[in-house]
Amino acid sequence: MFLQFIANGIVIGSIYAIVSLGFALIYNTTKIFHLAYAVLYMFCPYMILTFFHGLGLNLFISFTVAIIITVFLSVIMEFLVYRPLAKKESSLNIMLISSIGIMIVVTNIISLFYGSETKILNSEISKTFTIGNIILTYAQISQVSISMILIVVFLLFLKFSRFGIMTRAMRDDDVLCQVLGMDIYKMRYVLFALSGLFSAIIGGLVAYDVGMDPYVGMPILVNAVVALIIGGIGRFEAPIIGGFIIGILQALSVWAFSARWQDAVTFLLLIIFLLFRPTGILAERKRLV
Amino acid sequence: MDYIFHIIILINIYIILTTSTNLLVGMTNLLSLGQAAFYGLGAYFSVLALMVLHLTIIPALLFSAICTSLMSLLIAYPSLRLKGDYFVLATLGFQLIIYTILYNWISVTKGPFGISGIPSPSLFGLLYISGIYSFLVLSSVLAAMVIYIFYKLIHSPFGRALKGVRDDELSLLSIGRNVTSLKIWAFTLSSGFIAIGGCLYASYVAYIDPTSFNLDEAIFILAAVLIGGTGNIKGPIIGAVFVVVLPELLRLVGLPDSIGANLRQIIYGLTIILLMRFRPQGIAGEYALK
Repeated sequence: MFLQFIANGIVIGSIYAIVSLGFALIYNTTKIFHLAYAVLYMFCPYMILTFFHGLGLNLFISFTVAIIITVFLSVIMEFLVYRPLAKKESSLNIMLISSIGIMIVVTNIISLFYGSETKILNSEISKTFTIGNIILTYAQISQVSISMILIVVFLLFLKFSRFGIMTRAMRDDDVLCQVLGMDIYKMRYVLFALSGLFSAIIGGLVAYDVGMDPYVGMPILVNAVVALIIGGIGRFEAPIIGGFIIGILQALSVWAFSARWQDAVTFLLLIIFLLFRPTGILAERKRLV
Repeated sequence: MDYIFHIIILINIYIILTTSTNLLVGMTNLLSLGQAAFYGLGAYFSVLALMVLHLTIIPALLFSAICTSLMSLLIAYPSLRLKGDYFVLATLGFQLIIYTILYNWISVTKGPFGISGIPSPSLFGLLYISGIYSFLVLSSVLAAMVIYIFYKLIHSPFGRALKGVRDDELSLLSIGRNVTSLKIWAFTLSSGFIAIGGCLYASYVAYIDPTSFNLDEAIFILAAVLIGGTGNIKGPIIGAVFVVVLPELLRLVGLPDSIGANLRQIIYGLTIILLMRFRPQGIAGEYALK
């Protein structure tokens, strides 16, 4: 049983890792506390639902179209809300509140059109796959493998491509980037698109496994943010490590206590980290408090 | 007529919530996403006072306010060491922990089933406060009292010191004020007063369950303050009236409840986005969020 819980933890951890990475991509570079990111996670499945069940396209095409629309939504958020605020040099708290505003608006638009009850994409009983005494569904295996691929490709890009270098430069000092002639607003569009892509892919895959409702994004995002804090803000490897730690820890707390207390365990961990090591596991030491 | 009284009672409850949240957000520049937790704690403590300890209303109010303040002290001390986003996150974490505890500690809080049949409180054991008229009087008196106290507080040296924390923490430190203790005072006072709102809610509705005190409620309270305006007395009052009256107006227009609920949330969301962009101090506030 223990191994099964570890395996479940890795599956959940891969979701947290990807969502956390997408969140970190924006938080580390622009310092926007992008709570509306939760919305993208649940927006993509609803788009898949529209194209797959509504228009009867095949699954792969509807997945692709839905991901493109979600990426577009992410860029629109930047265009309509964050960019004007950034040009006005508004404070970060204002960005945070605006982000809550976007989240409320989009969640309720979805709930208005699709209803707030749980919807499923895949009505068949999922096929399972057994290794030793660990049982996983094919959807879970594809979640883990696709997130691994995304993580590896992203980290390689970050290390070696021009885009990666620019991202790391923006993380270190975005004003200096501007002084050196980099168009940071163009760069921000790219970052928002990329983080939207991460969220859309994993959101779609998870919804294909377990279904979705309009409020499914927020708990995932909250866990992902905790993962980011635990991993450490700044380094892009940190949210990935944090995500897997949270995932496995939650699965183990289900094993040791019961599923009811897994959130409490996560937030207790958050408080402990905020108190004793606010820089997280990986980050270099600098004053945050 | 009862319907209008019901709305006025709700407005009174929300005035208490927003006015006390304003002490944190508008006066001290501490953005808290954990206000619903204290609202909930206040409600649950007052149920403890009314149903288990059989207190009358005034001791029950005091009991829940004091217990909630003590709880908030536990939370204030660790979270106030953090700044900006980290503080928001810590309060978010506490909000979720307290919600999880209220939801899952079934032997004490009855969890998701909620506590029903909360008895109507009595005043000095003589007068039973039941029925809408007596609650109208009670809530109006309490709301007026809270507004008066906060009016006095804002214009007291303590209030000015808090505004100092908000505007320039460093210069306040340099003239020798203890910024951390000021923040802790603001935090505990705010949660103590918010507990009065919780107590009022619990005894008025006579039924509480954890879902009334979740993260959405915390965001809602914060949104009400920010829409109304931060930093002065009239802002939060306008915010409370706005968030309570808007859904009723939508209902009067004839929208069915299923659409109306979503539509009013969309209106709140858009209002917040537009206000943050064009008028960050809210409708009637004096302080633009930093």
